[in-house]
Amino acid sequence: MSGKVLVCRCEDVTLDEVQKALEAGHHDIESVKRYTGFGTGWCQGKQCVVACARVIAEHTGASPTLPITPRPPYHPVSLAALAGLDEEAP
Amino acid sequence: MPPRRLSSHDLALLATHHPALSARLAARTVGSPMTVVHDGVGVAAFEGEVLALSLLAADRLVLSRSPKYHRPRGATCLRGHCEGCLVRYDGEPNVMACLSTVRRGAEAHSQNAFPTAGLDLMRVTDWFFPKHLDHHHLMVDFGAAVNRTMQRLTRKLAGLGTLPEEPRTPVEAAEHTVDALVVGAGQSGIGAANALAAAGLRVLVCDEAPAPGGAALDALDTPLDTLARLDPRVGCLTGTAAVATYDDTTLLVDGVRLYSVRARARVFANGGIASVGTFVNNDAPGVYTRDAFARALRQGVLASDRALFVGPGAAALGAIAKTLPHRGHKIEAEGTVVEAVGSGRVKGAVLTVGGARRQVTNIEALVVDTPAHAAYELAGQAGAEIVWSPAMRCFTPQRTPDGATRVPGVFVTGSLCLGEATVAARHADGARVGAHAAEWLNERATP
Repeated sequence: MSGKVLVCRCEDVTLDEVQKALEAGHHDIESVKRYTGFGTGWCQGKQCVVACARVIAEHTGASPTLPITPRPPYHPVSLAALAGLDEEAP
Repeated sequence: MPPRRLSSHDLALLATHHPALSARLAARTVGSPMTVVHDGVGVAAFEGEVLALSLLAADRLVLSRSPKYHRPRGATCLRGHCEGCLVRYDGEPNVMACLSTVRRGAEAHSQNAFPTAGLDLMRVTDWFFPKHLDHHHLMVDFGAAVNRTMQRLTRKLAGLGTLPEEPRTPVEAAEHTVDALVVGAGQSGIGAANALAAAGLRVLVCDEAPAPGGAALDALDTPLDTLARLDPRVGCLTGTAAVATYDDTTLLVDGVRLYSVRARARVFANGGIASVGTFVNNDAPGVYTRDAFARALRQGVLASDRALFVGPGAAALGAIAKTLPHRGHKIEAEGTVVEAVGSGRVKGAVLTVGGARRQVTNIEALVVDTPAHAAYELAGQAGAEIVWSPAMRCFTPQRTPDGATRVPGVFVTGSLCLGEATVAARHADGARVGAHAAEWLNERATP
């Protein structure tokens, strides 16, 4: 392994990437997410949103802005299980 | 290498020195011995055991490769909150080994790696981009054709697993209607559910874990008989996670089947999410949260024989692990991790202790003690106002002293709101919020 600090494990976003985003002028969670892609992976932000919020708070010296909207599914679910909701399904 | 499972001698020692852990070990059910196959190698397991634990006990640590840099990944949280233990299992991609049990004849395979996660040839990607892969600026000056080729290549590199060979048949969803749904069967969830049941209401509680109890079960020095137990009148779905919540409906999934639960009141008691913190190589296989190491231990598996425990909470766990003979555990109660050292898995660590830098070698695991942050997401989906808590350093749902949120019928309780709190405080908070929710429901009783 090369020495990386992972902020978002699921999408392989490093602390270095988040710092580059901050330097590029992205100072809120939503913009940093769109720039780096953190929070869009398997865990859907369970691990990384708070980690990124803390990095942003340290950089800006202010309380973090609102987190990204927590949309379903919160826990991974297969399409087959979701299809089970359809009353017309075979 | 000494076996990663507790011997009868170990169990006898724990019975003398750590009765609370011993009681947890005595309460587990151990199935008959069997073999599960991982990347073509037979692994000794017990029927019904958690797959991730069988693999850990056999020292099969590297389970997959990360999507972009192909860094090695292994089980880290052991509670379904990270991506570390994803495997292809029985022909199905992206199965969380920490939430699955071993089955006879089933085979587990590495994902996102060739030929296996341990040997993955694509691991050079990690060295090729030592800091990060800047997709905003990489190759953009070379013209559209090169750009398109690079895009195609990077899309091939990324991804998790391949689709199943056969489509899965939909399983008809189960429907439930109750007065109250409690998400999370930890100490606060049990407190709330019991209070609602005592008020004569129909209550359902769900939890991702295989049994109710919550994080208190992983506090290995807390006696089991001091923990709250679920009232038998409460319906309980274990091994079942909440997927989504909207209007009065919450969708749950047990891995195969979806449950659509309509409830006039929803109580979120789903606690916190532990992560390992930010240090160099914090994603290395062999890095565990304190609770993950404790969870494996109370099921009879020592995640490592040579672990370094860092921080006060981890140190207490390390002291229990050090009771066991012939292992080389180390403890740094006051230190902070700067780096996990190792290529492919943890072999050492760099810490700062009292301002001084210290190198620790001859370890194969790093157990860190990072406070969990509130799992605010489901309460947020339900419409609760989410605010930043400077004290907890995380987001948390806003509530009244009675646990009510700005949405009528949506309540929040436990470490989701309290952060680090004692078992008794969490239970009391749940009981109080549950009683208030019961009052709210009974005032609005349907004729």
